[in-house]
Amino acid sequence: MSSRGPRRGGQFSAPDSIDGQVESYDVLVVGGGLAGIRAAIAAVEANPRITVGMISKVYPMRSHTVSAEGGAAAALRPEDSYENHAFDTIKGSDYLADQDVVEAFVREAPIELIQMEHWGCPWSRDPDGKISARPFGGMTTWRTCFAADKTGFHMLHTVFQTSLKYEQIHRHDEAFVTKLLVEDSRCVGVIALDQRSGRFDAITAKAVILATGGLGRVYAFTTNGNICTGDGMALGYRAGVGLKDMEMVQFHPTGLPFTGILITEAVRGEGGYLTNKNGDRFLKDYVPNKMELGPRDIISRAMVTEFEAGRGFEGPHGKYMNLDVRHLGEEVIDRKLPFMRELGREFVGIDIVHEPIPVRPVQHYMMGGVDADISGATTLLGLYAAGECANVGLNGGNRLGSNSLSECLVFGAASGRAAAEYASTAKAVTSNPVDAMLWDEARRVEAAYLEKTGGDEKIGTIREEMQRDMDAGAGVFRTKEGLEKLTDQLGGLRDRFERIKIEDSSRTFNTELTAALELDFMLEVSQTIVASALAREESRGAHARRDFPDRNDEKYLKHTVAFSRGPEDPRPRLEYRDVRITNFKPQARVY
Amino acid sequence: MAEKTITIKATRFDPDKDSAPRLQSYDIPFADDAMVVLDALNYIKAHVDGSLSYRWSCRMGICGSCGMMVNGTPKLSCSAFLRDYWPRPVTVQPLNNFPIIRDLVIDMEDFMHKLKTIQPWIIRKQEVPLGAGEHRQTNAQIDEFKQFSQCINCMLCYSACPVYGLNNEFLGPAAIALARRYNLDSRDEGLTKRLPVIAGDEGIWECSFVGECSVVCPKGVDPAKAIQQTKLDTTLRFTLPFGNRD
Amino acid sequence: MPANWWTRNRRYFLYTVREFTALPMALWLLWLLYDIKSAGSGAANFQPPRSAAFVAFSAVCFLFATYHSYTFLKLAGVIMHVKVLDKTVPPRAIVLTMFGLWAVASIVIGAVLIGFAR
Repeated sequence: MSSRGPRRGGQFSAPDSIDGQVESYDVLVVGGGLAGIRAAIAAVEANPRITVGMISKVYPMRSHTVSAEGGAAAALRPEDSYENHAFDTIKGSDYLADQDVVEAFVREAPIELIQMEHWGCPWSRDPDGKISARPFGGMTTWRTCFAADKTGFHMLHTVFQTSLKYEQIHRHDEAFVTKLLVEDSRCVGVIALDQRSGRFDAITAKAVILATGGLGRVYAFTTNGNICTGDGMALGYRAGVGLKDMEMVQFHPTGLPFTGILITEAVRGEGGYLTNKNGDRFLKDYVPNKMELGPRDIISRAMVTEFEAGRGFEGPHGKYMNLDVRHLGEEVIDRKLPFMRELGREFVGIDIVHEPIPVRPVQHYMMGGVDADISGATTLLGLYAAGECANVGLNGGNRLGSNSLSECLVFGAASGRAAAEYASTAKAVTSNPVDAMLWDEARRVEAAYLEKTGGDEKIGTIREEMQRDMDAGAGVFRTKEGLEKLTDQLGGLRDRFERIKIEDSSRTFNTELTAALELDFMLEVSQTIVASALAREESRGAHARRDFPDRNDEKYLKHTVAFSRGPEDPRPRLEYRDVRITNFKPQARVY
Repeated sequence: MAEKTITIKATRFDPDKDSAPRLQSYDIPFADDAMVVLDALNYIKAHVDGSLSYRWSCRMGICGSCGMMVNGTPKLSCSAFLRDYWPRPVTVQPLNNFPIIRDLVIDMEDFMHKLKTIQPWIIRKQEVPLGAGEHRQTNAQIDEFKQFSQCINCMLCYSACPVYGLNNEFLGPAAIALARRYNLDSRDEGLTKRLPVIAGDEGIWECSFVGECSVVCPKGVDPAKAIQQTKLDTTLRFTLPFGNRD
Repeated sequence: MPANWWTRNRRYFLYTVREFTALPMALWLLWLLYDIKSAGSGAANFQPPRSAAFVAFSAVCFLFATYHSYTFLKLAGVIMHVKVLDKTVPPRAIVLTMFGLWAVASIVIGAVLIGFAR
């Protein structure tokens, strides 16, 4: 079903007839990154007779998976064990992970990496021809498998190219989902804006899987690409699903100043040193046993603490530390870290073989996300979530590096299979209410953005202010005052957002409209981050409160779940749910 | 001291309103030496003219979204530094040899279709079960195809190729390089399945080795090399006795 | 594509020159065929051309032919992927070998032709 009809003055048309062609699938995956494509493949492999749609606002090769560098973790080697991987992950999460989920994850991860290998992923190898592994932060053994230092790039292209051989997967490229369709307490599909034609389409499905990635662009300084705007999280939130642990935002210790481009943890895995202004490997005062291979939250806090003590370098783009790999030698760097050498040359004008790399903590990953269980199911029947946009309970308060790529595979596959099974027996979607919902949504967007007169605010201005405010108030260290101020600032930005002016009235590839839709989503999810952070009066994992510097298991060994109160009230309603403990009792987290 | 500025001339084209593309000029602050063309476009969109449309995402040269003509050369706008052009104006146009959808956004559906025709996945006569673990492969074996696996699908090579410009049916540099990537992968057994397309009517033999594709490729894939080596390989297969092994 | 696409940059231009070399070479070879045919009707009637115009024409064709060979041999390192004892032969080695073979062949053929002429 699509909206078409006579055009009025170059603006979007009100539908006065519904096209007879129905786009309807058994399973619809929203998002074309590693988790999304893996889910699509898993769904058709579970049931080759179903149809699977995959809708993405960009061509799948552009998904932000492509920029992941370091590796994917799995207990593949004989000297490793599931228990070891599970414990490292749970301790890394600061005991906020749901331990049953972790235990299932560590058992599936090795199988997924072998599957990737069979699909052609060029894993780097040991001399005996088996898949190699490197050390990584918070991992007590070498279990991070890698494809040079472009692991995400190779994994994404591998699954995307492999997905092309399945005729049952139909792609909708460059289509922007604006709303989930919910009917009778069941998710029955999406409304999407086809960017090329400007047409609104309703795409129905018995099961929908959200796999839209992270939300880094709510921050000014982030490794994330332009497309990481929390779309799936906002879509689920507005459909009544909770967003879990939104206060848990990961700051990666080593981003390049100014651009925020990621310098992989693998640099430290291969033996790189972090040194301050005095040339000291300062991490000896924070994580003496692990040094540069400590978990990301602790190292980021260490760096900020050093900055505040005046021991950071001062540069034209802020304070930074040195990440030094000169001692590794050219041969190792060219074999294991060639992309880093390229990035150093291009964007900083240095040769990392001869000069240290300037780095500073940068927003990178979102542990929080759509509340989903071990099979990706959310509380809304027919709606699943996987990958970074979901929170299945794996990463808790802090994710260990290289668990995310494995996470996308394991839970992408799990949700694909679960969605396929559910769709095999679910009732067909009826068109009548869907037609009405399509009309409503098309009119909503047209009225709110394209037909509005008298607006005076620029999207770019509001977005940049939001990003700066989030950097300041919801960064590595938080305070009550900072978070309360941020709540007010976000409220003010939301009011101003209601008055934005869109200059682009074209129907064709209107990226100003999609920027507005993304900003709408970003303002929404930002509120959940701030509210959750304000309510968690302890420090755990990546959430560090200056006013509550200790962990409080008695009160907060729980997940924060944020629910929308509806469009009138931007602040979420918070619930708490106990963390599921199986084999590993929470202890003090020392490295 | 006066603020440094730079002039950006960008193609504007709205198919609903314009009969032909035109260049629009913008003067923007050149505030930081590290600014790239993409930063300039983002500044224009955020502060000057919100209707300018272009693709971008990663800003670090790995997603392949932001290919454009910069002063007549196909480039990734995230990797084209303003300091290399200043004080002269920078003209930004949509990639050559592709239909324009809007402003700087081109239609790449042709490539998406061609990508599928070369069957870019591991083809085996007999699948190895997952339980058997990974195929053994050495780093040396990976080196055989590694270069051709670096393609980010940015389309700069298609933009540079005069053959593609004159004949849109040509399979093109990126597709052929990717086919070679799979043909050379020790785990793949699908060469004969890909040959009809690669060595077919619009495949490798349309290439006359201009070589510009490899010059503009931002990831060093060297698709020209891939195509010529494929020509030699397929010729030897055809001419040598017992060359046509499976 | 505009008809003057090949003037857009140096590499397009040199490529077009390279492809163009086929034309003067073909013309010179046509003359050679004609000359062979003339020689076939007897040594008495055969007059090899000595005019300055012909020398100039031949010199120009010779330059184009040399450029053709030079560009082709230079690219041999790209086209040929040779492995000796499991190690890839570096492209430079292939190119130098090709130029070496060209020099040897030129000397041999030249010696033969001059020997027959004597």
